[in-house]
Amino acid sequence: MIQQAAVRRRSFASRAVGQGSAIRRMDGLLLLAVAALSIIGTLLVWSSTRSWTSVEPTAMVKKHVLNLFIGAALLMAVAMADYRWLKPAAPIAYGVALVGLLLVITPLGSTINGSHSWILLGGGFAVQPSELAKPALVLMLAMLLTETAARTDRPRAIGIALCLAVAGVATILVMLQPDLGTTMVLAVITGGVLVLAGVRKRWIAVVLALGVGGAMAVWSMGLLKPYQVARFTAFINPASDPRGAGYNSTQALVAVGSGELFGKGLFHGGQTTGRFVPEQHTDFIFTVVGEEFGFVGAVAVVLLLGVVLLRSLRIARQCDDRFGTLVAGGIVCWLAFQTFINVGMTIGIMPITGLPLPFVSYGGTATFANMIGIGLLQAIHLRDRSYGRGAG
Amino acid sequence: MRGPRSSGRPPGNPPRNPPPRPPAVLRLGNPERRLHAGLIAMAFVLSLFAGRLVQLQGLDSKVLQEKAARQRVQPETLPAKRGSITDVNGNELALTKDAAEIYVDPYDVDPKKRDLVSATLARELNLPKEKVDAALAKTEQRYIPLDRDVEPLRAKKIMGLGLKGVGSKPTYQRLYPGGRLAGSLLGFVGYDGHGLEGLERTYDKVLAGQDGQQSIEIGRGGERIPMTRSTRKEPVPGHDVRLTIERDIQWSAEQAIDRQVRASDAASGSVIVMDIKTGHILAMANSPGVDLNRWDAVPAENRSNRAVSEVFEPGSTNKVITAAAAIEHAGVTPNTVFRVPDQIQCADRTLKDAHTHPPERLTFTGIIAESSNVGTILAARKLSDQRLYDTIRAFGFGSTSGSGLPGEEAGLLPDWRTWSGSQRCTVAYGQGVSVTALQMASVYQTIANGGVRVTPSLIAGTTDDHGRLVPAPTPKQTRVISEATARQISGMLEAAVGNDGTGTEAAIPGYRVAGKTGTAMRYDQKCAGYCGYTATFVGFTPADAPRLMALAVIQDPKKGHYGGAVAAPVFKEVMSFALKTRKIPPTGTKAPRAVLRAGE
Repeated sequence: MIQQAAVRRRSFASRAVGQGSAIRRMDGLLLLAVAALSIIGTLLVWSSTRSWTSVEPTAMVKKHVLNLFIGAALLMAVAMADYRWLKPAAPIAYGVALVGLLLVITPLGSTINGSHSWILLGGGFAVQPSELAKPALVLMLAMLLTETAARTDRPRAIGIALCLAVAGVATILVMLQPDLGTTMVLAVITGGVLVLAGVRKRWIAVVLALGVGGAMAVWSMGLLKPYQVARFTAFINPASDPRGAGYNSTQALVAVGSGELFGKGLFHGGQTTGRFVPEQHTDFIFTVVGEEFGFVGAVAVVLLLGVVLLRSLRIARQCDDRFGTLVAGGIVCWLAFQTFINVGMTIGIMPITGLPLPFVSYGGTATFANMIGIGLLQAIHLRDRSYGRGAG
Repeated sequence: MRGPRSSGRPPGNPPRNPPPRPPAVLRLGNPERRLHAGLIAMAFVLSLFAGRLVQLQGLDSKVLQEKAARQRVQPETLPAKRGSITDVNGNELALTKDAAEIYVDPYDVDPKKRDLVSATLARELNLPKEKVDAALAKTEQRYIPLDRDVEPLRAKKIMGLGLKGVGSKPTYQRLYPGGRLAGSLLGFVGYDGHGLEGLERTYDKVLAGQDGQQSIEIGRGGERIPMTRSTRKEPVPGHDVRLTIERDIQWSAEQAIDRQVRASDAASGSVIVMDIKTGHILAMANSPGVDLNRWDAVPAENRSNRAVSEVFEPGSTNKVITAAAAIEHAGVTPNTVFRVPDQIQCADRTLKDAHTHPPERLTFTGIIAESSNVGTILAARKLSDQRLYDTIRAFGFGSTSGSGLPGEEAGLLPDWRTWSGSQRCTVAYGQGVSVTALQMASVYQTIANGGVRVTPSLIAGTTDDHGRLVPAPTPKQTRVISEATARQISGMLEAAVGNDGTGTEAAIPGYRVAGKTGTAMRYDQKCAGYCGYTATFVGFTPADAPRLMALAVIQDPKKGHYGGAVAAPVFKEVMSFALKTRKIPPTGTKAPRAVLRAGE
């Protein structure tokens, strides 16, 4: 308490960045990795959107930088929020996300790139509620599992059922858009949080069976759009349709491969500037680093993403509060899944699914969601240090 | 506190007695273990990525890079401008003009606008709409040329319409402003811009120049990728070729031979006009001609330059060679008198004159002027076979003229040792030996030039890199017969055009003309023997100071067949025109009275 009183007397600047301030106590390596990825991402977005118009080559990158600043502010706000507020905030966040997802399917929603997942705000800005649903679902699931847990901390059936219901509503709303990538992310978050919560093997088996059965039902009932089926076919055999669904995959490999060891240099990638890879500033941003920064750059990005994931995992492991562990674990599942799918599809070892690369791809709402995720991790980390000791 | 979360505890906590390990059930739900498994999974996936990157950017990079270059780098040929072919005064007979190629990229054409694009292009390019439709339907292709010879202004207009998927690139169009003028001589170029026939083919290396190369990087949208390297090798334009041809004389020769071939219902005909002193060919006309702007419609056999490619037995025009040999080597003079019957036995054959007549006492001049075969044989009998053969060779038979003209034949002069009994008689008057029109023209150039043969030439020169004319090397000069002999033969030939000669139709009022008719039996593969005639007239003017020679030959005329009747008028017409064009005045002298018969 004495310490806290001392803190209160210090100037705002000193409290923000000085000795013992929240920023000083955050996981610095995690912040550094996110910052580095954001800077690299900015360069890549710039390079891939530069040739869109000759009038204003920096239009997209300017928007991206603005998004990053808003995202950074969100990160700090969430990180410095009182940890105890997070649990009660979960239903609110979930509710907001649900309203957003519902609004998307009303006439207010807009279709961009075949996905009806946007709400236009005017002035060239738009939000994608499905992105915000990711952190909201993580919080909501963690809250439900901790609140309904037995004394042994083992989740009870009622908790699991509530979780599946909560996750199911959000997932179905995203599926309706249709957004296959985000649907899968939400499913992975749900599964990951349940597994971490200590759900029995047989429950996991049931959930898995439900998931696989659901996927097979979706497939057999023809709920998937033809392009989605084509993407999977193209993944098995990219040469089957080199101009169609296999085009993205082939072009991505060509762009990455032509980078060789050190790359062609920023702005000097012919495949990038020639816009051969579709959706290059969002889903296929990794091809830009592959072509322009080569193997060295690509491995650096993979390593930085690895640092983010490992530090996040460390926060989950170090947290001695069940809610915190589950939130951190859920965020790790989300970021890891997106990273693996995105990088994997770019280098041809995963099917093509429209998912952005965390912290690197262009995309406002996605950036905000990722930053909120990191903010939550930092909040958990901060709580771990300041309260864990006292509790011991 | 249970074990699973104890590791999250900050260090420094006092060690506690660990509680008894719970049974295995709990360990399944152990978040620590599951997070640990997650860690291993992550590390595995990340190293998988690294491995795949090694494969893509290391092992396979060359293949992928090549793939990238293939779809990005577009090598483009920059066509070199082909040189012109001009006449001796620089009038362009073949020229290259800027044009545009209009092509379509069916892949890029909006399917909804395909019909509009097709209709517009069909109208602007004057093409059948079905053809454009068919091109646009090939949507898997990205480059289909529609028209290569579009006026640059029209191309600009088409491009101004802003039709997506329609492109234009600069190219060149080969034009022959004269159409048929010198058609079989010039030849033409194929669709690849290289010469296929005639001079266009022979001088392709000089005319074509060096195509340039440019490779630029093109993005997916077809736009040039900024900041990429491009290489460009400028094309080197071709050089001009200047001919010795005089356009107007050429035109006149073509008109004359065309008219006579039609009038006499002949198979073909040729005219050659040559400058005596220089050996420059001033005109070389063939009928039927070749319309160079529609060369693909001309049958292949009519595309050749018959004046050098068609080989025929010359007939009486050959008698001058026998005369030259007899004067030079057998002491015969133009006034030597022979008793000439109308037929003569030679080995197994009886050889006749064209008309029956009682035995006459003709001078050698008379024999040539009246073109007596029997008289010529009598003169030839004063020569050995080898002597006759050597003289014929010296005049250029049996080998190409040295003009370097495309498609030139050497003719057929059998070695004297292989001559049959009758052949040694027939060769003397031009049967049993085959020549081209140019070879025969060269004989008369030699006689007119005082016995000195000048290799016929068609090329006046070519331009160098700076557009300056580099004259062709001076043609070779060879003395074939003595000047005195040449003069004597000239006199005999003048008599042939004179009142009692066979070539009176060739006479040009005011000018002294020397020349010789030829009416040869024509060997024709179609009838596997001799059927039809070759009518020839070859001569020069002015006889006493020769400047120009001309030859007209008409193959297989059906209406009339005597050289004096069919070919001589062509000679007269062309020569008259050439004299006027060249502004050659009459010498003002009169031909000496020729003695054709003994005692006249």
